[in-house]
Amino acid sequence: MAKFLEYVPGNSILHRLNPSVKLVCAVLFAIACFVCSNLVFLLIMLALALTLALSSGFGRETAGLCKAVFAFSLILALVILLTTPNGVELIALPWGYIGTGSLLAACTVVVRLMAAAIPLFLVFYATKMTDITNSAVKQLHVPYKYAFTFTSTVHFIPVFMNDMSAIMEAQTARGVEFDTSNIIKKIRLMVPLCVPLLVSSVRKTNSAAIAAEVRGFNLRTRKSGYKDYPIGLLDGMALGVCVLIVVAAFVVSLMA
Amino acid sequence: MIQFNNFSFKYREGIEPVLYNVSLTIPDATFVGITGAAGSGKSTLTYAINGIIPHCYPGDFYGEVFVEGLDTVESTLTDISMLVGSVCQDIDSQMVSTVVEDEILYGLENFGVARSEIPARVDEALDAMGIADLRERSIDSLSGGQKQKVALASVIALHPRVLVLDEPTAELDPASSLAVFELLARYAHEHGTTVVVVEQKIALLSDYADMLVIVDDGHIRFADSPENVLAHSDELLALGVNCPRSTTLMNELSKRGCYSGPAVRNVAQATEALMEVLA
Amino acid sequence: MIEFAQVTASYDDDLAVLHDVSFTINDGDFVAFVGTNGAGKSTTMRLINGLLKPSAGEVLIDKMPTTQLKTSELARKMGFLFQNPDRQICCNTVREELLFGFSVQGEVGQAELDRVDALIEQFGFNPDDEPYLLNRGTRQLLALASIIVMEPPVVILDEPTTGLDYRECEKVMGIVRQLNEGGTTVVMVCHDMEVVGDFAQRVIAMTAGQVVADGPTFEVLRNSEVLKAAHILPPQITEISLALNQNCAQLPLPIAQANTVDEMVCALVDVEKGGF
Repeated sequence: MAKFLEYVPGNSILHRLNPSVKLVCAVLFAIACFVCSNLVFLLIMLALALTLALSSGFGRETAGLCKAVFAFSLILALVILLTTPNGVELIALPWGYIGTGSLLAACTVVVRLMAAAIPLFLVFYATKMTDITNSAVKQLHVPYKYAFTFTSTVHFIPVFMNDMSAIMEAQTARGVEFDTSNIIKKIRLMVPLCVPLLVSSVRKTNSAAIAAEVRGFNLRTRKSGYKDYPIGLLDGMALGVCVLIVVAAFVVSLMA
Repeated sequence: MIQFNNFSFKYREGIEPVLYNVSLTIPDATFVGITGAAGSGKSTLTYAINGIIPHCYPGDFYGEVFVEGLDTVESTLTDISMLVGSVCQDIDSQMVSTVVEDEILYGLENFGVARSEIPARVDEALDAMGIADLRERSIDSLSGGQKQKVALASVIALHPRVLVLDEPTAELDPASSLAVFELLARYAHEHGTTVVVVEQKIALLSDYADMLVIVDDGHIRFADSPENVLAHSDELLALGVNCPRSTTLMNELSKRGCYSGPAVRNVAQATEALMEVLA
Repeated sequence: MIEFAQVTASYDDDLAVLHDVSFTINDGDFVAFVGTNGAGKSTTMRLINGLLKPSAGEVLIDKMPTTQLKTSELARKMGFLFQNPDRQICCNTVREELLFGFSVQGEVGQAELDRVDALIEQFGFNPDDEPYLLNRGTRQLLALASIIVMEPPVVILDEPTTGLDYRECEKVMGIVRQLNEGGTTVVMVCHDMEVVGDFAQRVIAMTAGQVVADGPTFEVLRNSEVLKAAHILPPQITEISLALNQNCAQLPLPIAQANTVDEMVCALVDVEKGGF
């Protein structure tokens, strides 16, 4: 399985779309999810997102992602459930009640977050990081320095995660109980390890900066990218569909 | 040509200079191996060539360093980088891309190499390092030896006059270390490139270098052909540099009057010399 | 005693990286694992201290399978020196670093403090130095010291000499040899064949996740088929001796068997004297 935000090679429509268009489409899709609170509309959006994921061959990655987003949104849903007394009372609480409205709101949050997140992550699975930045610099006119900072950050996440697990292993081998099943204890044990991690991160980012500089980082301009990212018919269609979705979202929410 | 004239350097946070009054001339198309004990100043010497000193690490800079006629203090780091290609010690942080081909493209794009020329440059660099088959691979999935070759390819695509490498084989096994040196030496020979490599593996340096530089406590103690440097194996040992065993063996034999030829650089030369001794 | 019985192991259900590996390491052994990167040496080390559990077969530490032991418990028996000391070091001073192992096990008494002081003396550390400001070789020595201060019966070293210069390398390995002479079992992964030849008593050669040879150091390092299979070069003097064997008829036995500079010099001087 692919690591966090790592490119998965393939030749699906999603792979072939222009990187900037992909990014814009994903953002439009997410906007649509947040504009409209109609649960049926959101469920359709989720179904659309899942269909897109499956048809591009990211079944496994999306399943993992859904689990993570689901867990996160569940916490939000719980808060909403307990704090927004709405609709017909189902369960009485000391400070209010849980009603059908609260239940609906909670479900909406879960579905909305999942529907909005999936396309954004799909962009990263279906596009090489360099293509995203180069295309964002060329076509969206994002300043290269910001784009580079973004790629470097994403590039370093797995490096740091490797570092962290290696540090934890080294400490386990010294008798620190990282192999405990008690999560609180594990987190408490992790705190002192921030020092070695920080030391290695500072060294790494420093040498990365120098390495980029000696390969002409300062000369890079918007025109530097070798690869072109033409916008084709397919891209136009994808953009069109996403704009329609946003319009639909506005219409549905205004009708309500 | 690379020239150090009475060069001294002290890092801003340091108390003592790391290099004292270094004068050294490296002719064109030379394969230079630099070695010495930890903290002797050998890495600092390479930073002075690729311009990282004084442009990235500030400090007190005395004397002059010229690289291909360019005064490294007067020039910008970018100007120096067009002549000098560098591969740093930490190979994972050196990578700016996630895919091999993009890594090679990076420098070419930045230095504004003509678009029509780029495909040929990428092919040539990949071929020179024997990694054409890795073109589409994700860098994360490569072994240490493969990453080192990608880093080298990304630099030689820029056609540098000088290549500077800081312990390129530190993390590699003997077979991959040998492969990296072999590719490097062949490339440098074919293109007339000057190579400056810092390395602890003295056996590799002795075998491949045209010039050995021994740094000790901020001073250059030896800078000569491997034969001439390796002849002093006892002095080298006192400086914390252990000659290849084949060299030590032949030097011991010449002390005892059993061998009178020049210092040997590798196992093959020692074997050949011994066969004559035994014949 | 460390026993591997038909061990197969893999990471994350991917292809097996170790296939059907069996060997026994007795108390007091000094064993070096050799082979290319990816041959399975580091995986073997991780299996020994329980960071990785076998997917088939058994790893037994003093007759106990590692599947029943936690790595943090095994730490009392196994000192593990990782290749990169920076992953191990986590305290603010040299003294704290050396006391770290004891404080994890909750036992810092006068005896422990004395032991730390003795090691500081032996290694020539300044107890108040900040570990991150020390140079690479000293950090490696500190990492080693912080392990052996616990006096584990087994010490595992993953490429202990990587990144060290000759003097640092000799210092680290000299201490390891002393430990071994004192009865500590030493298991190391090492790429530097000169170090292997100088220090190890037994070599286990691996390639593609399997053991291809296991025996006394020079028996393995003089076996040309093993060298080829494991993609390793022997120490230089051994290589010279092997090459002379191939090229010279009637080579005197001391030359044909020499593995060190001293052995080879003596053998050759004798031949010269004898007017060969």
